Amino acid sequence: MKFTINWLKNYLDFDLSAQALADRLTMLGLEVDSVTNLYPELTGIRVARIVAVQPHPNADRLQLCDVDDGEGVRRVVCGAPNARAGLMTALAMPGTVMPGGLVIAAAKIRGEASTGMLCSASELGIGGAKSGIMELAGDLRPGQPLTEALGLRDTLVEVDLTPNRPDCASVIGLAREVGGITGATVKHPVAAPLPALTGSALPFSVEVRDREACPRYSARLIRGVKIAPSPWWLQRLLLAVGLRPINNVVDITNFVMLEYGQPLHAFDFAKLAGGQIVVRRANPGETMRTLDGTEHQLEPEMLLICDAEQGVALAGVMGGANSEVSEATTEILLESACFNPVSIRRTSRRLKMATDSSYRFERGVDPDGTVRTLDRATSLIVELAGGTVVGGGVDCREGLLARPPIQLRVQRCAELLGIALDAEGIAAHLAAIEIPARQLDGQTLEVTVPGFRVDLEREIDLIEEVARLVGYNELPTTLPVVPLSFADRDPARQLRARVAELLIAQGFSEAINYSFVTEKHFDQLGLAADDPLRATVRLRNPLNDEQSVMRTLLLPGVLENVRRNLNHQVSDLRIFETGKVFIPGAAELPREEVWLTAALAGRRYPGSPVFHFGQGAVDFFDIKGVVEQLLREMRYDGVKMVAESQPPRYVDSGSALGVLAADGAVIGRLGRVHADALKGFGIKTEVYFLELNLTALGALAARPKSFRPLAKFPAVRWDLALVVPEGVASGEIIAAISGLGESLVEQVELFDLYQGDKIAAGFKSVAISINYRDLDKTLADADVQVVHRRITDMLGTRFGGSLREN
Amino acid sequence: MEAELQSLKSEALAGLEQIDQIAGLEEFRVKYLGRKGEFAGLMKQLGQVDPAERPRLGQLANSVKQDIESAYEQRQAALEAGQGPVAPLCDLSLPGRVVPVGRLHPVTQIMNEVCGIFEGLGFAVAEGPDVETDFYNFEALNIPPHHPARDMHDTFYVSESVLLRTHTSPMQIRTMENQTPPLRMIAPGKVYRCDSDVTHTPMFHQVEGFLVDRKVSFADLKGVLSVFISRMFSADTPIRFRPSFFPFTEPSAEVDIGCVICHGSGCRVCKQTGWLEILGAGMIDPEVFKKVGYDPEVYTGFAFGLGIERIAMLKYGINDIRLYYENDLRFLSQF
Repeated sequence: MKFTINWLKNYLDFDLSAQALADRLTMLGLEVDSVTNLYPELTGIRVARIVAVQPHPNADRLQLCDVDDGEGVRRVVCGAPNARAGLMTALAMPGTVMPGGLVIAAAKIRGEASTGMLCSASELGIGGAKSGIMELAGDLRPGQPLTEALGLRDTLVEVDLTPNRPDCASVIGLAREVGGITGATVKHPVAAPLPALTGSALPFSVEVRDREACPRYSARLIRGVKIAPSPWWLQRLLLAVGLRPINNVVDITNFVMLEYGQPLHAFDFAKLAGGQIVVRRANPGETMRTLDGTEHQLEPEMLLICDAEQGVALAGVMGGANSEVSEATTEILLESACFNPVSIRRTSRRLKMATDSSYRFERGVDPDGTVRTLDRATSLIVELAGGTVVGGGVDCREGLLARPPIQLRVQRCAELLGIALDAEGIAAHLAAIEIPARQLDGQTLEVTVPGFRVDLEREIDLIEEVARLVGYNELPTTLPVVPLSFADRDPARQLRARVAELLIAQGFSEAINYSFVTEKHFDQLGLAADDPLRATVRLRNPLNDEQSVMRTLLLPGVLENVRRNLNHQVSDLRIFETGKVFIPGAAELPREEVWLTAALAGRRYPGSPVFHFGQGAVDFFDIKGVVEQLLREMRYDGVKMVAESQPPRYVDSGSALGVLAADGAVIGRLGRVHADALKGFGIKTEVYFLELNLTALGALAARPKSFRPLAKFPAVRWDLALVVPEGVASGEIIAAISGLGESLVEQVELFDLYQGDKIAAGFKSVAISINYRDLDKTLADADVQVVHRRITDMLGTRFGGSLREN
Repeated sequence: MEAELQSLKSEALAGLEQIDQIAGLEEFRVKYLGRKGEFAGLMKQLGQVDPAERPRLGQLANSVKQDIESAYEQRQAALEAGQGPVAPLCDLSLPGRVVPVGRLHPVTQIMNEVCGIFEGLGFAVAEGPDVETDFYNFEALNIPPHHPARDMHDTFYVSESVLLRTHTSPMQIRTMENQTPPLRMIAPGKVYRCDSDVTHTPMFHQVEGFLVDRKVSFADLKGVLSVFISRMFSADTPIRFRPSFFPFTEPSAEVDIGCVICHGSGCRVCKQTGWLEILGAGMIDPEVFKKVGYDPEVYTGFAFGLGIERIAMLKYGINDIRLYYENDLRFLSQF
């Protein structure tokens, strides 16, 4: 809602600067978005008097004017025929930028010096099509700024209204609010006395067929109207708030809408078939062309204003082209109605037509205000466009519902706001914004809510008004007294936090990507056409294709991050994300699972100079180490890393493992991103990744922490080197030793791998060290020997290996 | 035996003197003090001596052993000391070896900070679904279909009745449906609006909070949020509450803090007002209580919601909201 300070002053006396007023409005819940001075482009224009005029020696149509600019007399060359000695006019000084962008400069025109320009009203953008320089009143003072001299100096204020305050989509509504803080009373414009709305013996009729959708419809007929441009004062106000002046009648309806918040509509009465107005729902298949030239396909729920034959306006939204006021119009049927907010909103949404009118109707207009605004606009039309009002008029108000008074309990108000305010105090606050309250007893007020406050329906609404008028910052500030209780934490959130902590400790930085992605990701990853990951939750109204489906895995987003960083020459990458994926199912809402995905690329030791660690690049075992560390620290002993039987296509199956829960369920994987997927994402470097279903992981039992006594007796370390066919997995050898369950075996560790000259081709030497310890005594060699022998025998049998002899 | 002990001692001490490299010490230790060393060999004879002599010789043996051991330790210490940093091995101004450490996303950092403050005040934490029903996101929060307040939420729809939550407020309903007051809870999470420009991303993060009990007042709302702001920013941060409108609270408030950039003198960030809006709040609307079966005559409460990205921008001076979701490591590594 935009208004100007001078406009507001028509209805209320106040002595506040524009900024102070804006601050007060903001603190009343009417947030001021901007305060701007109007006509800033006219600041260089001043009033000047032509002292003397003489013909230009070199041009017939030009004159040399000596002009008193208030500080001295200057010479200006002027081509206007009305330039004459004694004329008070407008002067643009050198340096002024004109509304059209022209910069006025001192110049020689046909050999004569000219320092400035005398201006016409149209050159200054302040109306008037008349040619010639401005003719100003003779009592003005040369040197006076033109904006001041013409009363153009004004300030535009824009308020960002909340949806509950349609009453403030009007200058008078805002004046009422300002009066609430300054104590001043609103002065309503006085309409000329008009014939009563008797509704009988009229040349027109109004029939409201849907009273619920149109609780009130008031109308008058004005004859002998002359359509013309509005007077400048009216055009100026409309222009100031961003409306385009059209003609006197239409401008008046817009002006009164801004003044009172009541949208009005003027029909060309001659174009209304049968002189009838019928308010009804649209018929199936009915169409209508609105003022803006658009043809609309109507739906039966839409409310129409019709004549005897067809629709002439989309009720509360926009008038029809067929009944539009034109220059030929002489008879005006003026409508001031009240429509059901939901009905208007549906129509406006469905047709994607948001107008100043629909804005107000869908929030609710004052049902008591239709006649007052009808009369206000009628008076203005008579005054500015001539014409006479046909005796009588219509006011169909059968659909109006009574609004019962609201009881407001003083104690409830006090408890809710934390203040001690008595009945008189509450009533005084409400009265300041024209809300009458009557004391029933010392503890209860009966409040009759005026029609303009459609938002006040309950006791709590009135309590909010009291709080607002007292001022939120004047209310006390306390801390609640509540019973002590244990505050639960969200386990999924805690798990995510723990995982993040462990990844950060390993050098990974956290990324957050959008939950919605493009389906192209699935092709980029190389997923099969029937891959279940392609089953997505799809948005009906995405902003664009890039954000059209909810993600089913995090990897694409992370790969996008990898590419972005590589493009910015950041090549040592450790990135992870924990976030939700969305899996559609039979239920109304999709299943949401939290996953962890991390990507690793570049050098192994990025933080240190090359001469410390070399510049080796990361490989599979770096990402494997991350997963091992994660599982170890989180104590998920049962989770194993083994080859997946059917790994997804985006992993390089030669360098990948699945992460399996103890029950065999795949809960994640790690490895190298498949070359095709990397290509799909435009990445030209190897990327290793891990992904883990944290929702599944969180459901597993972690090994509880429990103390084991520290060993008192020394351990002995025996090494062995086993030569086995190169296809044997080292991990299985280790697992086989551990699997024997020998009580003396404390730890088994792989410490070297060898393939080369010293052993046969196709074989490898696996060097293992075993830590033996007896918790109760110092081990004797002989005891170790027995166990070690059992182990080497088992290994030989099981893996076909031989102990390596050096 | 006694003589043997004495000669072992002098032989050992003399030998020790000859050792001038740390490497030689181990050989000495094994020879004299090891399990199969000379001292151990002598000690085996102790069993064969006259039992009457045994305590005296045992004592002597002990003192000999202690003497050798302490001389050995002294020698070891002397050799190690002599081996100190006589000359720098290399250029010590070179950078050290660093184990890389990552960072949490700035949004997560601020989120954790916000949650931490409310956890300190005894608020529970719970997260809800990102894909929500119209009922929880709107209807139960007193935003019926065709309410103009829906204009405040540019909503992504999945179907007629399913959408991406536009705020974290649905957690008020989900919690109140299943629990009885007193309640203190915050609900952090992602929210979505179909709006994207220099100041809006279509996904962002919010923390919703609410407290419900008997006789909770607007003054309590002001108190809790004042504590939050003083902890999140600083104790002397100016705060103001001004009326606003949310369908699910009444009275409703916007909470502003004194501009952290210009400290009130007016700048581009605060649009010359000196104030920054950081929170929406209000007393929970009686209609919301009715929807979850609470008696609004018995219970009152307040709710609030705040945007994490905005707070991070203010605290860290981030000037472009789009940076949050580009995940450029040059950005992420700054916080």
